[in-house]
Amino acid sequence: MTVKLAMPKVWRKETKPHKFCPGCGHGLVLKALGEAIDALEIQNQAIFGCDIGCSLLAWDFFNVDTIQTHHGRTTPVVTGIKRARPDRIVIAYMGDGGGYAIGSQHLVNAAARNEKITVVLVNNCNYAMTGGQMAPTTLPGMKTETSPYGRDAETTGQPMQGPEMVAAIAREGSYVARGTIANSRQLKTYIQRALENQMQGNGFSFVEALSGCPTNWSTNARDTWAFVEQAMPKYFKVGELKAPPRKEE
Amino acid sequence: MPEKPITGEKRAFMTGNEVVAWACLAAQADIMYGYPITPQNEIMHYWTRLAPKYEKKFLQTEDEISAGFTTVGGVLAGARAFTGTGGPGNVLMQEAISMAEMMRIPTVMFIQQRGGPSTATVIYSQQEVTLTTYGGNGEGYRIVYSTASHQDLFDYTIKAFNAAWKYRFPTFILGDGYQAKMRESLMLYDPEARGITMVPAEPLVGLPGTPGVDRDPAHLRNTYNTEEELLALIKGYQAEYDRIAPELAEHEAYDCADAEVIILSHGVVSRSARIAGRELREKGMKVGYFRPITLRPFPDAAIRRAVAKAKKLLVVESSEGQFLKLCQQSLCGLPLPIETLLKPGMGITSEEIVAKLSAWRWG
Amino acid sequence: MNRIVEAYVGEYASGKSECALNRALELLRRQEVMQPVILVDLDTVEPVYTLRPIREELRGLGLDVIAWATRDTVGLGEAGSGWPPAARWVLRRSGSCVLDIGYGVKGAQSLNLLEGAWSDPDLRILAVLNLGRPMTGSYECMLAYVRELGPVHGLINNSHLGDDTTIAFIQEGARTVAEVAEKLKLPLTATCADARFKERLGEKDVCGRPIRYLQRFMPRAFW
Repeated sequence: MTVKLAMPKVWRKETKPHKFCPGCGHGLVLKALGEAIDALEIQNQAIFGCDIGCSLLAWDFFNVDTIQTHHGRTTPVVTGIKRARPDRIVIAYMGDGGGYAIGSQHLVNAAARNEKITVVLVNNCNYAMTGGQMAPTTLPGMKTETSPYGRDAETTGQPMQGPEMVAAIAREGSYVARGTIANSRQLKTYIQRALENQMQGNGFSFVEALSGCPTNWSTNARDTWAFVEQAMPKYFKVGELKAPPRKEE
Repeated sequence: MPEKPITGEKRAFMTGNEVVAWACLAAQADIMYGYPITPQNEIMHYWTRLAPKYEKKFLQTEDEISAGFTTVGGVLAGARAFTGTGGPGNVLMQEAISMAEMMRIPTVMFIQQRGGPSTATVIYSQQEVTLTTYGGNGEGYRIVYSTASHQDLFDYTIKAFNAAWKYRFPTFILGDGYQAKMRESLMLYDPEARGITMVPAEPLVGLPGTPGVDRDPAHLRNTYNTEEELLALIKGYQAEYDRIAPELAEHEAYDCADAEVIILSHGVVSRSARIAGRELREKGMKVGYFRPITLRPFPDAAIRRAVAKAKKLLVVESSEGQFLKLCQQSLCGLPLPIETLLKPGMGITSEEIVAKLSAWRWG
Repeated sequence: MNRIVEAYVGEYASGKSECALNRALELLRRQEVMQPVILVDLDTVEPVYTLRPIREELRGLGLDVIAWATRDTVGLGEAGSGWPPAARWVLRRSGSCVLDIGYGVKGAQSLNLLEGAWSDPDLRILAVLNLGRPMTGSYECMLAYVRELGPVHGLINNSHLGDDTTIAFIQEGARTVAEVAEKLKLPLTATCADARFKERLGEKDVCGRPIRYLQRFMPRAFW
């Protein structure tokens, strides 16, 4: 009996196993992204930009031309590429800190200008690469290295509602969704629709993926999964927030 | 195809910012990314007026951080891409420039210096020398041309695109608010008509073929894991920069061979220095003039040759010693006293230089 | 008494301010022209060459000048994108008026800011054209440029190349502007030229239009 590896075709086998921590959600998000690229057959058209943070570990993940950028600056880099080469499919891959804190002005303005790019943002409620500090998406009461007594919403605000914000400013033709690693098939569908939206020239597309960070959460597999499936959706509602009317399939 | 913006040669009367826009057209630039800041605005005003006529593009970004990084993106995609800024905008753009330095991305940026620090004045200064030559968290692997006239702006814009794409270092035209707004005539020309071939721009990502099937993917890094890995990389860059520096370095010198005193200046101030030098020569004083055109790489060999017989140097600049430091670094070890005329944020006239030198005891 | 109201519009760096202020000084000397002569800096586009640095000098010559003083703009930095409030009502005052307006279409639209501009029977809008400016560097470019400016009552040839100006270039400019004027059925009001050409150029240009000689003030008005 042979075991068939369920690795997307676009994954670069030479760089597997990947470098993310055991149990990290990035692998699942990148699997969904890989399957979407395979399904759309855009491996030779795609350009992948990864932010600084754990997203960076995806820099040699795919057989796709890839650029490491700076923290928060992946959106403008892929915007610059898309403006110069509209025939390419560009993907900006980032975490919650890169997208919602240091790079939020780029996210807001790319959405407002309806840039024909796709942003995939991994939300794991903390800055993971730097050692688990509070992020814009940290849940109230959640302990991190910079909220050691739990996030105090009075002084540090409530978790950032990224897709809701983007959906509020994005124009007609944009696609905005929030998926989760707890539902891989749905996440792949959302990412695929986001990429299709770019390919059709409709406009900006944005998918947030709820994800887990066992290393910084210090959780075992069961607790990690419980947090992603139960705690996070209380603040972050999964679903499509904005989508152009779909043609009959 | 639209016709060429400039065919043959044509004399025109322009402001410096317009010269930049026309020169970028002449240099076959594809796209400008930019954010408004005085005194560089008219580069954008004229580029946006001209661009659609020649199938060129423009993107107005949300800030200079984005203008810098979209320019990086444009270049990665294989476009002759450029941006322009000054003052606080130059500060913000340093982040993108450091990425361009690290990844050898041939961006072209126009800096029209204004007063600093902070918002200061929108008018003029030479206070962005340090920032433009050595800004960012690195070693300053950049090519910086300091222009003095509208003809310089035109000539060196064409040269900047070629230097950037030939040597793959971020390249700058360092102007200032006076040059940006000043009006004078210059000769516009089609580079090809003068036998200048534009170095082709090439994509660094989005190459032909399917990655992993027909070719390896382009996986471009700016992040390194170990000290040793970074050290090897930077030493390699340094060696290459040292190797190309003599080819790149440019200067202008007059009357240095027998000069007792040599005036050192750059950019628009060198116009005054040159006039002052001539006037003093006519009065019988042995005055020479030396102007580095490239501030990075600095014309080390030429300046040391020029000052070989001088007894004294005068550094003149519209900053409190930023250019002076470059000169001191270049002349280190020579027993030559250096006097200064430093006026941060102020223009300097030939009369002031003449007065300064006339007050000295000669011989 | 003739009330003269003239607005100078045109391309960036075409010489609008120099033409306008020299014209204002000329009107000051003319007996038949209604006095006082008010010169208004209405350039909201270009913060560089404004009348601000030479305001007192021009007032000393007898002009009523509406422009910022440096002390009014302390702390504003990018001064020049605002405009002096006194300008708004200037057309309601008695006397003649020369308006120095910002460049391009946006500059020409600055007239919308003035109370009564479009119902003023004396208002004449004059487009200043320099063949040495690439945007107006040929008959075709110049024609297209004037057409986009909005209402224009006359054209002024101010063709020059700064220090490199030649008589031949001024005359070539006069011929080109004359062709544009004929095509648009507008008068070619005058040619302007630096005073240093007076002896060699004489009273009229090659097209028989009067030449207004310019005393240079604007080089001292830089920033």
